Amino acid sequence: MPGLSTQLLVIGGGATGLGIALDAVLRGIKTVLVDKSDLGQGTSGRYHGLLHSGGRYVISDPVSAADCARENRVLRKLAPSAIEDTGGLFVSVPTDPQDFPDRWLAACHANGVPAQEISPKSALKREPLLNPRITRAFAVQDASLDSFDLLHLLSAAVQSHGGQVWPRCRVESLMLEDGRVTGAVVRSLIGDDLIVVGAELTINAAGPWAGAIADLAGLQIPIALGKGTMLAMATRLVNTVVNRCKPPADGDIFVPVGTVSVLGTTDVLVRDAESLSIDPWEIDLLLAEGELLVPTLPTHRPLRAWAGVRPLYRPPTQSAQETRTLPRAHTLLDHQALHGLPGMISVFGGKLTTYRLMAEQAIDLACQHLHVQSACLTAQTPLEAGTSLHYLARRHARLEDPAHHRFSADVVCECELITRSDLEHAITQAASDDLDDIRRDLRLGMGPCQAAFCGYRAAGLARSLATQAPVDGGLAPFLAERWRGIRPLGWGQMLRQLELSRRFSQELLGLPTVEEDSA
Amino acid sequence: MTDVLIVGAGLAGLFAAALAARRGAAVTLITQGRGGLGIGHGCIDIWSAGVLERALPHLPDNHPYRRATISSLRSALTQLDGMLSPSGLRLSGSLARNLRLPTPAGQLHPTAFALTAQAQADPLTGEDFTLATIDAFRDFSLALASHNLRQLGAPPASLLELPMVGLPTRRDAYSTDLARCLDDSSLRAETFRAWKPRVLGIRRLGLPAVLGLQSHPVVMADLEDRLGLQVFEIPTLPPSVPGLRIEAALRADAQRHGALIIEGPHVIGRVSGASNGKRAAGVVAHTAGGPHVYNADRVLLATGGVLHGGLVTLPTGRVQESVFDLPVVHNTQRQTWTSPQIGGRQAYATFGVAVDHQMRPRALDGGPVLENLYAAGGLLAGADRTREGSRQGIDLATAYRAVEAALA
Repeated sequence: MPGLSTQLLVIGGGATGLGIALDAVLRGIKTVLVDKSDLGQGTSGRYHGLLHSGGRYVISDPVSAADCARENRVLRKLAPSAIEDTGGLFVSVPTDPQDFPDRWLAACHANGVPAQEISPKSALKREPLLNPRITRAFAVQDASLDSFDLLHLLSAAVQSHGGQVWPRCRVESLMLEDGRVTGAVVRSLIGDDLIVVGAELTINAAGPWAGAIADLAGLQIPIALGKGTMLAMATRLVNTVVNRCKPPADGDIFVPVGTVSVLGTTDVLVRDAESLSIDPWEIDLLLAEGELLVPTLPTHRPLRAWAGVRPLYRPPTQSAQETRTLPRAHTLLDHQALHGLPGMISVFGGKLTTYRLMAEQAIDLACQHLHVQSACLTAQTPLEAGTSLHYLARRHARLEDPAHHRFSADVVCECELITRSDLEHAITQAASDDLDDIRRDLRLGMGPCQAAFCGYRAAGLARSLATQAPVDGGLAPFLAERWRGIRPLGWGQMLRQLELSRRFSQELLGLPTVEEDSA
Repeated sequence: MTDVLIVGAGLAGLFAAALAARRGAAVTLITQGRGGLGIGHGCIDIWSAGVLERALPHLPDNHPYRRATISSLRSALTQLDGMLSPSGLRLSGSLARNLRLPTPAGQLHPTAFALTAQAQADPLTGEDFTLATIDAFRDFSLALASHNLRQLGAPPASLLELPMVGLPTRRDAYSTDLARCLDDSSLRAETFRAWKPRVLGIRRLGLPAVLGLQSHPVVMADLEDRLGLQVFEIPTLPPSVPGLRIEAALRADAQRHGALIIEGPHVIGRVSGASNGKRAAGVVAHTAGGPHVYNADRVLLATGGVLHGGLVTLPTGRVQESVFDLPVVHNTQRQTWTSPQIGGRQAYATFGVAVDHQMRPRALDGGPVLENLYAAGGLLAGADRTREGSRQGIDLATAYRAVEAALA
């Protein structure tokens, strides 16, 4: 079996894992990161896009809120290209508890979360679609953070500092020798090879799969999984992040992301990380609650629904019946101290906003184990501005550039303004035959047509550029995945959209029908 | 006052308008927008699995083909030929054996009839051919089409990218832009001059279906004359140029026979008529100037199904017929409407209005809702046209039967 050895093995290619890998390589620790699929396929890629101001959990979890407020300021400096500074609002509608806003504001002040009351009138001027009957409004430092952009920046930074990032490498087993974890055997899903990665220390940052990784070492960790369902509305109903000023609950936040706005979220205890199916009640509840913030919501078109699974720390005193009240702060488990098993640390919980802090604390601990004396550098090291492509302004600028060759400026995806050259570049760079990976890079197929048009065009380009591409250029699985995300919204306009996609796929393109449904 | 008022301008509505006008009726067709002909492949799908006549006895009694009968379909196809030929269009194919025509993804699509330019693509396994596209045209991929066709047993094709003269620069070209360039005789001459050295020695050439919109027959003849080769067309992503050719021909035929086509108004309800409200005296439509009454002796709905707005599906599980609120055959469990898979069985696709053998929508008691109200095409319950490959056949057969019944 081929093998290599490293100081640190990081399991998990979400924001936490990549943040940990970057922190480590900046301190000179030789690092390999593995993920069983593409980067950001877990919770990081399945969230609402919010860079927390700290306001949301300031009463229920002040520690996490204070962390968010600090990290918010740090990330704006480190990764400006991944952040759209939308600002945020907390507003009360008449049915919300009217004593809450004052308590909330006091808590913001106490925990270093900047918040300023503004008049409902000026809030409405800023966001005209908001419920005109709002009673209180507060401006906060929320923003829209594109996690795919952030992960690309992190991954590029890790590699530029000598770290290795291996997507599509699944951990098959942990190696245990003399009562310590000494690395892992991973399977490369590209070549189907087994590779031994010997490591002085392994960090389990597998998010909702962290329990399964710990299980490979025979350990149980106190993790609870909370599924959150989100809806993308087809347009930017708001240009500011808008929260309800009340204890966090279902359907109380809108986040403007790219060309859409995301309405989130539910919070349902689930058994495993793959429990991503969406129940009709979740959709109905999100839409009903969202209507309290934006009364015209029923006249707008929901585009897509998806779910992510939050890995939450469950304190021994709390029951496993529900997840909404579980703490949002992150947890660092040193298995040597806790279970007498050296060589492994588990990190989970927290918010995407606090990934850097989690990484700093994890590597501080790792340094003790590895006998490395080196201070954390991530707060002072900006992430290189990579080729972040999806912001409309940047796209327009390139479309207007007369130097752009005519055909390369052809718009392949009208919804997200992706050009032929964007797509050619992404396909060549990705070294992947999966259009879903290209989607995460470019937002391909994420707009109103949900790939009905651009899917075929992209598949054609993939097929002509990448010799290893499947014969349909990856079109059939891509359309199947788009179908899955629209299906919970299968009525009204989106049922029409589904029918249009189906007609294109089967009547026009001749893609196969299936005989029996695997429900 | 009009004899027959038709709502909807897809294949069923336009065909019904031309047919009724040809029979001497005063016809008014009202449509809110363009019908569905521009988004399909431009073929006439009858029954993709084989011969309809053999399948028919096994279909459920409420299937639109069972309601309309196969003789309506046969007559409709004859009539359709007559309507297309003044525009120089001809359908090739038969009810006895499906053509197998290449799709833009290089699959083979079974269909009964297609415009000659498309039908010439069958059989691909015959003579060698070259596949070509227009420079950087987004909506037809040579890579997808050629490779898959080879997998399906077509001879290996050589590939070409050909220029198009006269395209606007700095604007993305759609199939209709390319077709309009070729409609222009001087641009066409220049384009074919540019193609000539590139196609030397080629006898059979497959191109995306952009060979002229208004002047398709002339473009085809010109191409074969000037370049000395046989050409076939493969559909593209929408807009569908072949579909738009059929649309234009049917509109022209209906208008030539005196039909009035009104675009824009959204029909919202009926005007009650005589016989204790058992007849409609016309329809009410939203127009630019406000609500407007269109009086009519008979009304034919060809508003389409879920996609085209004839049926409105609500989050509560209710399904409404959008003009008259007719009873709709459907189930009320929203989560069962779709299959988890795009290629699976879709319950919603069979939702629609149940009709009697006169093509009159039926009330819950089984009798007609109104004595002079008829329905045809995608609005009818009982068939998943995508899975069956029966869409255009159902449109034609049911529209034919409805016009027959209305004018009887």
